[in-house]
Amino acid sequence: MSEAVLKLENLSKSYSLGKRNVQALSNLNLQVNKGEFVAIMGPSGSGKTTLLNVLGCLDKPTGGKVLLGEVDITKLPEKKLCKIRSSKIGFVFQTFNLLSYLNARENVELPMEVTKKSKSEKRQRASELLEMVGLSGREEHRPQRLSAGEQQRVAIARALANDPAIILADEPTGNLDTKNKYEIVTLLANLNINRGTTIIMVTHDSQMASQTERLIFLNDGKITKEKQGRHLAKKKLTCPYCGSRTQLGDAICPSCKKRL
Amino acid sequence: MIIALGFSMAIMISIPAGITANQESTLNLTENLGNTITQTEATINQTLIQIDCSLSPSMEGFGFAPPNMGRSDFAPPGSGFAPGQFGNGTGMPGAFGGGAFSRGGTSAMNETLYDDIGSIESVAAVVPSLQVSQGTNQTVEMFGRSFTRLVPDYVIEGIPLTSSLVDSYPILPANITAGRNLQAGDSGVVLLSENNTAFFEAEVGDTIDILGQSFEVIGIHGSSGVEDVTTLYVNLSDAQSLTNNIGYITSVTVFADSSDVVTEVAKAISSLHPELLVVTGQQRLDQLEVMKTNYETALENAELTLTQTQSIAVQEIIVAVAATSLIVLFVMLYTVRERTKEIGTLKAIGFSNWTVMSQFMLEGVLLSLIAGVVGIAIASIAAPALSELLLPAVNQGTFGRGFTSVANSGTIASITLTPQLALIAVGAAVLLGTLGSIYPAWRTSRTRPAEAMRYE
Repeated sequence: MSEAVLKLENLSKSYSLGKRNVQALSNLNLQVNKGEFVAIMGPSGSGKTTLLNVLGCLDKPTGGKVLLGEVDITKLPEKKLCKIRSSKIGFVFQTFNLLSYLNARENVELPMEVTKKSKSEKRQRASELLEMVGLSGREEHRPQRLSAGEQQRVAIARALANDPAIILADEPTGNLDTKNKYEIVTLLANLNINRGTTIIMVTHDSQMASQTERLIFLNDGKITKEKQGRHLAKKKLTCPYCGSRTQLGDAICPSCKKRL
Repeated sequence: MIIALGFSMAIMISIPAGITANQESTLNLTENLGNTITQTEATINQTLIQIDCSLSPSMEGFGFAPPNMGRSDFAPPGSGFAPGQFGNGTGMPGAFGGGAFSRGGTSAMNETLYDDIGSIESVAAVVPSLQVSQGTNQTVEMFGRSFTRLVPDYVIEGIPLTSSLVDSYPILPANITAGRNLQAGDSGVVLLSENNTAFFEAEVGDTIDILGQSFEVIGIHGSSGVEDVTTLYVNLSDAQSLTNNIGYITSVTVFADSSDVVTEVAKAISSLHPELLVVTGQQRLDQLEVMKTNYETALENAELTLTQTQSIAVQEIIVAVAATSLIVLFVMLYTVRERTKEIGTLKAIGFSNWTVMSQFMLEGVLLSLIAGVVGIAIASIAAPALSELLLPAVNQGTFGRGFTSVANSGTIASITLTPQLALIAVGAAVLLGTLGSIYPAWRTSRTRPAEAMRYE
């Protein structure tokens, strides 16, 4: 039995929209194990983002438990949640949410501001992370001078800054073109394989979801279906250009010879 | 947006700054007017038994002028009221004007011609005096012709220094600020005006050169009249030989036995010498009373304006404070609203409420500081224009041009931005900026990250 990093027990979340009471999540039970790459799918309004926000300590559930390791985060005060957000969780957003007045490196350094790292350590780490996501040489560029794909890479580097156990990605490919979608998902998959980072990705793009190892379908705040994806353990991926199988870590597609 | 904030705060600050500065000028003016009234009252008491006689003023180059007779552009003796000043029919405006052409000069007359005045009944004393202006000639173009006028450096006043006159009658200046006054028998010595000391670069005990002759400075007198007196006093005989006017005088001051007989004595002098312009103490008194009334009215106006200015200033400051706080509040609220997503992001990546809140507070304070400094810069340029626009009464209405020369301030109510005022303004700006940032910053910290993230 794998070690659970995240466990939901009878999780519920409702909020009022005007006079209407909306049940965003109802009695969810879910366990995510260490090193899993999970995709949460579902139509708009199915509660995907709400679930992710609750998992990321950004929102409080109205019922049930969220166990992060052994700790029930629903009982924690804001100050502790803040600490968890900074050390255990990395966020990747659909709209990247980079600070426009900071350059790529400074954006990556931002989460380290609340740690005790020295300035040079932060700089060093930021450069390493940017190199890892393939952006070395672009450290000094501001977000507006980067392409959407590059911005999302910066955002992923930022999410990794404090070496979190879990990355929560909310539609990370929603604002990207096909080529960049694959690149970003590949990047996440690489992280998952190479670093063992648990990744939970919300998406409504079934092609992207199929690149993960476990798919969870959500509808009306309930889990309706669960499915195994193309198991990343098999290290198989699909070339975005010709559709043939590639090995994880391939820089060039073996059949069409295009750069992945 | 920062610029807009800075500019609005600048205007807000510059208005009260201008008003406060104005208030200070009004205070100065009030003080000067008060002094002038006191001086006028002192002069009134002295002049009851005095009669001044002189020839009608002449225009240079047209009338009779003996050698070396300069035009007298400054008020003669200590009292500050020259016979010519009242005789030229311009009355008060003459006293207020500062221009070289505003007053006619006094013509010289042969001193022996007026010996007979002393024999008129009830005349206690006859004091002849000679007054000559010294200065630099300047050519001015006017109506297509060029005129030469004297730009005066100083006025030589010759007084007969005999013990019977000097000891009994107020013919010498009373306000001695250094050294001693002239006394009977003095010769070769000079009593300088405070305003002469810079020109001669001299102090009590120094020897100065007047028209090629050496004089010892025996004392210094302060300005006793309302004018900027530059008169230096010497013995009459010294003055006559010095200015090459031996046997000539410019005026005769007659003292009557009592104030009751002054009118009769004046009549007698006029019938004896119809060419003389005779001004009695009573006439002068009337003039002085009119002047005093005018000063008092002006003083009341000045005080009224001061009160009004103060209340306007208070109102303006309240409005400015309220408006500035509101502007900062709205700008900060707008900023917070505009950056909700950023706030959400910061919270999501682990920033605490306090960190985010303090960052926004700091931003508000810094903005206010910049705005305050910009405000001071603009205020120092715009305050005069603004306050003139807002308070025309202070600068034009109540205090006509004439008044300021009376008040000796030289310029019309001037506006100054003192360093203290600037510091207070910047301090106020920072304080208001902080106040205005508190609520938005607090709201920021209360925003739940998830809500903030949802906000587009």
